[in-house]
Amino acid sequence: MDEAIAVPPPRRRTILQFLTIGLGLYLALWALSEAIVYRSGHDNPFFKIATADRTHYDWLILGASHAMPLAFDDVETRLESSAGVSIINLALQGVGPLYNDVVLERFVRDHSASGLVYVVDSFAFRSAQWNADRLADADLLARTPFDLGVARRLLAESVSGDLPLQAPLAYVTGFPKINNPDRFSLDLWDSVTLFDRRYRPSSTAAAERVAYLYPQGSENPAVLEHYLDMFDGLLDRAEAAGMSVLVVKLPLPSSFVAGLPGEADFNAALEEKLASRGLNLLDFTDRMQDPRFYFDSDHLGRQGVEALATEILVPLLRHQDPVETDGKTAAE
Amino acid sequence: MLFNSLAFALFLPLVLGGTAALPLGWRWLWLLAASLVFYGWGQPGNLLFLGGVTLWAYAFGLLLGHGRSRGARRWLLTSALLGLIGSLAAFKFYDFIRAELPEQWASLWPVLGINAPAGYSFYTFAAAAYLIDVHRRELQAERNAAQFGLYMAWFPKVLVGPIARAKPFLDQARNGLRADPEKMVGALQLVFWGLFKKVVIADNLAPVVDNAFAIAPYAAPLELLIAVYFFAFQIYCDFSGIADMAIGTSRLFGIELPINFRRPYLSRSVSEFWSQRWHITLGQWFRDYLYIPLGGSRAGVARTYLNIMIVFLVSGLWHAGLGYGLGWSFLVWGLLNGLYQWAQMGVSTLAAKLPVPSLLPERLSGALAIFLTFHLILVSWVFFRAASVEEAVLVLQRIAAAIPDLPSVIRHYPFSGEHALGAGLIALLMGVEMLDERRPLAQRIAAWARPWRWALYYCVLGAIVVIGSWQGSRAIYMQF
Repeated sequence: MDEAIAVPPPRRRTILQFLTIGLGLYLALWALSEAIVYRSGHDNPFFKIATADRTHYDWLILGASHAMPLAFDDVETRLESSAGVSIINLALQGVGPLYNDVVLERFVRDHSASGLVYVVDSFAFRSAQWNADRLADADLLARTPFDLGVARRLLAESVSGDLPLQAPLAYVTGFPKINNPDRFSLDLWDSVTLFDRRYRPSSTAAAERVAYLYPQGSENPAVLEHYLDMFDGLLDRAEAAGMSVLVVKLPLPSSFVAGLPGEADFNAALEEKLASRGLNLLDFTDRMQDPRFYFDSDHLGRQGVEALATEILVPLLRHQDPVETDGKTAAE
Repeated sequence: MLFNSLAFALFLPLVLGGTAALPLGWRWLWLLAASLVFYGWGQPGNLLFLGGVTLWAYAFGLLLGHGRSRGARRWLLTSALLGLIGSLAAFKFYDFIRAELPEQWASLWPVLGINAPAGYSFYTFAAAAYLIDVHRRELQAERNAAQFGLYMAWFPKVLVGPIARAKPFLDQARNGLRADPEKMVGALQLVFWGLFKKVVIADNLAPVVDNAFAIAPYAAPLELLIAVYFFAFQIYCDFSGIADMAIGTSRLFGIELPINFRRPYLSRSVSEFWSQRWHITLGQWFRDYLYIPLGGSRAGVARTYLNIMIVFLVSGLWHAGLGYGLGWSFLVWGLLNGLYQWAQMGVSTLAAKLPVPSLLPERLSGALAIFLTFHLILVSWVFFRAASVEEAVLVLQRIAAAIPDLPSVIRHYPFSGEHALGAGLIALLMGVEMLDERRPLAQRIAAWARPWRWALYYCVLGAIVVIGSWQGSRAIYMQF
């Protein structure tokens, strides 16, 4: 194959024809991949927005993986019926304020919500890995339906230097979708199958998980400051869209919390930020310490979510029952 | 910069456009700048290594060119080669040998802790070949430092070769970098066929191989057997795919690089595999600069056997550290290939003395020879891929022990989509190679009607886009 064979060079018109047909075939692949995304979508927040069955919700939930069990199985439906409210949970594993802000921007463009519950996790404020890198993550882009507004935002983030140029390019060309080897499998987080599991606490597993979540530890206060400012912008966007805001920390096993780096500093910085807006941090971290409430080192299992719903979430989301946490009240 | 990256997809048209826009006399300078950008992309520190080797070879080349006395020239060459090969050996083996020493000795040696950059062994060998050629007066020392820099840094070959000789390269560079329009289609065919081999075949076989070798003591023997077969094609497509891209890319700029692979798994003997079909430019390097200076086959039978073994052991050392850790298994790999050559030479000598009539038709005996050669090479690849000699032996033992039960195991084995895809891609590759062996595929394609030709191009491009693995994986041979 590598011997040089001489053939007359094609004419310019022939090259143009070849490229035009190639472009047409690529566009066909693009459209086909987009259709497959809609057939195999499930967890991706942009997919949920694009296929939402209503335009207004009482509550929008944003956050990372700790908020995802609130939508596992039939939990969301039961929560909606117990609290008498409508909920859309757009949390996704391993995403921080930047990713969530892009989701929120997409959501408010053609949907509305009366309130926003933002489930905070300090790890998501400590590294670009959970923010810009997730926006550029080919696995997530492969599941994100095309939307011009999202493309524009990704380009803006890229121009501002927060995001590599590959991210908007990949999104617009649809390459991660066309090239997705898992294109036909349902976009469902594997952990959903562990939801009913009762976890046996392991300090080694907890330490490994913390090391994974905090690749840069908590050494760099500038990073925290950067993402807190970004979070501030997200809250501005939510309030501008008429949402009342609840910032919540969900229960976590004490063995896991003990290993979190700089958690007290994070709480103090976040509370200061929230106080300037007249908000409280609703910190339920210490609640529900029985291992039966968790399916792994730090995620609530079915029993945990049910207990959380009864004790905290239903009163909180009803907009009427005050919920006490560390002496603070979720004021609505 | 990787050939299989978005950065390269943007870089190549830019460099081609710039070259076309510049007058002939300026093109080499533009290409030198582009080559430095390519090599330093993301890791500008790597340029120090390339620059150091280039300056070293350039300076010693000039000194060798000016040298009159034979003794002085020999001394200069020895010093230059010691510097080059010594640095290569130090980067490869210093820390490894230190770790193998008893603790009381090891503590006396400081840790070097330097990982040489990608492609170091390729451009070191190119520099060594240049210096030896200048010493032999087969080549005049290059006076133009920048043109010599282009030879050393030429971006299509700097990471994984081919190990191009200086004379043909510099002659082409001096005569104006003008691409032949009639070779453009062939060059692009080669680039995309190489990309197909790398991202569609090699990178789709890699997960099966990696998963099996990661748990070699516990993996099912059939899984290990599949991994061993897949690895043979992974390493071939990984290396030859990049080499095809290098040759095709270089051709786009009017510089022909030497062929590096010629359908190696259709070899009828191990010596044919190494001398004519696999990593041809490295084989030629060892032939011209090691085997022949040692006396080659003209110094008696015993010496010929010894020379062959030396070449293969040195080749084993050269390959050490190619992404699978540094260990004695590379030496065993070289030893095994040397023993194959010995066996083949012995059988050939015996057959020449005792002519036995062939019992099989020629085509069948040819197929059997290909089958046998492939499987001998396959066994040696296990030592190449395994993390240690122990692991390689374990893999072979476990496969050998399971062979009697294979027919029933295969019937009930839960083959995955990755297995099916891998097997299909290997069948496709071998089909293409067999057609190419009979008549060059490029000639066949050129004779096709345009719709068929274009349909084939779109299928290859479509496969690259749809099933290619684009996880930014580096080429195996690039890693040292």
